[in-house]
Amino acid sequence: MDNTIQEKATLPAKKKHHGASLMERRARLGWVFLAPFIIGLLLFYISIVFNTVQFSFATYHTNSIAQGGGYYLEWAGLENYKYVLNELTMTNANGETVTFVEMLFTSIGGQIVDIITIILLSLFVAVLLNQKMAGRAVFRAIFFVPVVIGAGIIAEIDAAGQNVILEAMSSGEIIDTGSVNTSALNGLVNAMDISILFQNLGIGSGLVDLVVGLVSDIYDIINRAGVQMLIFLAGLQSISPSIYESCQMEGATGWETFWKITLPMISPMILANSVYTIIDSLTSESNLLMQNILEINGYPEQSAASIVYFLAVALLLGLAALILSKFVFYQRRND
Amino acid sequence: MNNNNTAPRVKKETKNKIKVDFDRTPLKDRLKAKYLNGYFYKKVLIAIFRFLLLLGLSYIILFPFFSKISSSFMSPRDFLQTDVKYIPKYPTLDQYKYLITENGYFKAFLNTFLLSGTCAILQTFICAFIGYGFAKFKFKGNGAMFVIVLITMLLPHQFMQSSMFLKFRYFVLDSTGIYSALGLTKGLIDTVIPLIILSLTGLAFKNGLFIFIMRQFYRGVPDELEESSYVDGYGVFKTFFYIILPLSVPMLVTVFILAFSWQWTDTFYINLFLPTTDSALLTSISFWQKTPETLAAISASQLAGTTGASELYSVAVKNTAGFLVIIPLIIMYLFCQRKLIQGIEHSGFGGM
Repeated sequence: MDNTIQEKATLPAKKKHHGASLMERRARLGWVFLAPFIIGLLLFYISIVFNTVQFSFATYHTNSIAQGGGYYLEWAGLENYKYVLNELTMTNANGETVTFVEMLFTSIGGQIVDIITIILLSLFVAVLLNQKMAGRAVFRAIFFVPVVIGAGIIAEIDAAGQNVILEAMSSGEIIDTGSVNTSALNGLVNAMDISILFQNLGIGSGLVDLVVGLVSDIYDIINRAGVQMLIFLAGLQSISPSIYESCQMEGATGWETFWKITLPMISPMILANSVYTIIDSLTSESNLLMQNILEINGYPEQSAASIVYFLAVALLLGLAALILSKFVFYQRRND
Repeated sequence: MNNNNTAPRVKKETKNKIKVDFDRTPLKDRLKAKYLNGYFYKKVLIAIFRFLLLLGLSYIILFPFFSKISSSFMSPRDFLQTDVKYIPKYPTLDQYKYLITENGYFKAFLNTFLLSGTCAILQTFICAFIGYGFAKFKFKGNGAMFVIVLITMLLPHQFMQSSMFLKFRYFVLDSTGIYSALGLTKGLIDTVIPLIILSLTGLAFKNGLFIFIMRQFYRGVPDELEESSYVDGYGVFKTFFYIILPLSVPMLVTVFILAFSWQWTDTFYINLFLPTTDSALLTSISFWQKTPETLAAISASQLAGTTGASELYSVAVKNTAGFLVIIPLIIMYLFCQRKLIQGIEHSGFGGM
């Protein structure tokens, strides 16, 4: 008995592989797939970002033409950040002057409800547009419009023209005066007097404010939901129909199918879309805080303010990703 | 129903169909059973509700366009009429006609099509490639690299405008003098090469989003699919090209649509990288910011002495130019969305 045990103990442990196993070698191939991205990072992206960051720690001096023009930077430590956090003021939506930090909190806080609404709305519309019905192609095309007008040329034309035609037409003023102040879009939804309706129902004023805010923002919200809707639509197409078939065979209702099949299967896209919506809402040029940052005088101060802002957004992103990734379901064995 | 015991009598048999003779319930009863029940009412109600909801949302999206569309058919003197709101009194196609002929629409269209097509195809493919790497390979540093992708999503290119310009002005090989030898006096500026480089490296406009959604999609693809492909003797890359790419068609189409339309309507990169040459793109100033000479002449003759109306007219012409830019995109989407139809087995594992 003792002998056998000793014999076993002296046996060599598990034979060691020389080099990597097949799976390890395969995992290393991942770097090959990432190669284009990494090349881009090394070739130019890192240095571009580095330049921007460098500005935030420096003061900016231009050379006189006699010296050959151009500019040089002088190390300033955290001066720009101190300025941004302590002294920088901005104009908020009501035209009041507030500090940068206050603006940061109100701006991010104000967007959270919008972001959630955008995700829910785009998922809902995508589910509707995924069903068979008359005129589906037309509806899909209409909901595609926000994707092409949100950025680029149409936004630029609108910014230049400021919707003067729409205003002139809807007001019926003599067009020759050129400018009309009231926005016709507000009139569209203000006609429905929602706040009175809700107050009569006896709902708390906080909720009323929330709903009224959402309804008056509806144009904005729908136009920011176009991309998400398109992505959700593609996600819905990717769900295998055989799963729905077997669900039907088991006698599940449409409601149950949505909660038990559609929602888990689309959840990876909910995560992606939430991250995108947060980034898009907070860092697009239509964001008030971003506009304020772009108007800051001086490139160093501007980059310091934007870096502080991006860190705050990154924090929110991390938080959202952490919470959402708990609920994401991937159709795989290993996860 | 009544003939459960006896086999149904075969009436007529063709290649695909067998007609069977059995005792049917009368038409009236069948219609009653089909339509006069709660299930049917519910279905109709839901369909109506859905239609009205979509109609309402569509109205909100299209609302700002109604006035732009009607003003694109107006002639200058319509802008003097106070009673003209949406329906022009002197409708004309002049705006479209002269924008197309005098501002070189077709040439710009072709150039934009080639540029957007190239960039979109590159971006779609590269982002799928990178996304697959993130989704299916568990190497050290995967998570950290993905955080960098998120950072590229987070930092808008507007903030790096000048650094980006300088980078491509003096791009990598500049000191060797290769660019001036090739006749490029300003490095890569005034060529489309920066856009191609950005597309090739997955760093173009919102490519972080594309990488993210492709990664999310591929994470949902069962591993068995690849394993069986390896067993059949395919390598990692062959598996990606022949197995993985075909089953991700809905996602690829979506990424392509987004990349194509963003490049198509882009003004930022065009102004940044193609600032001086007349690039003759739909989004270059020579097309959309210039009022065609004939239109300017018509406007001057009809609106002599008024300032507001002629200003409005030039805005209307710009809006019309905007339509000419986005209408091809909407048409392209109508074609592409046919690919976005459920019912094709994508997972490769029927009834798994």
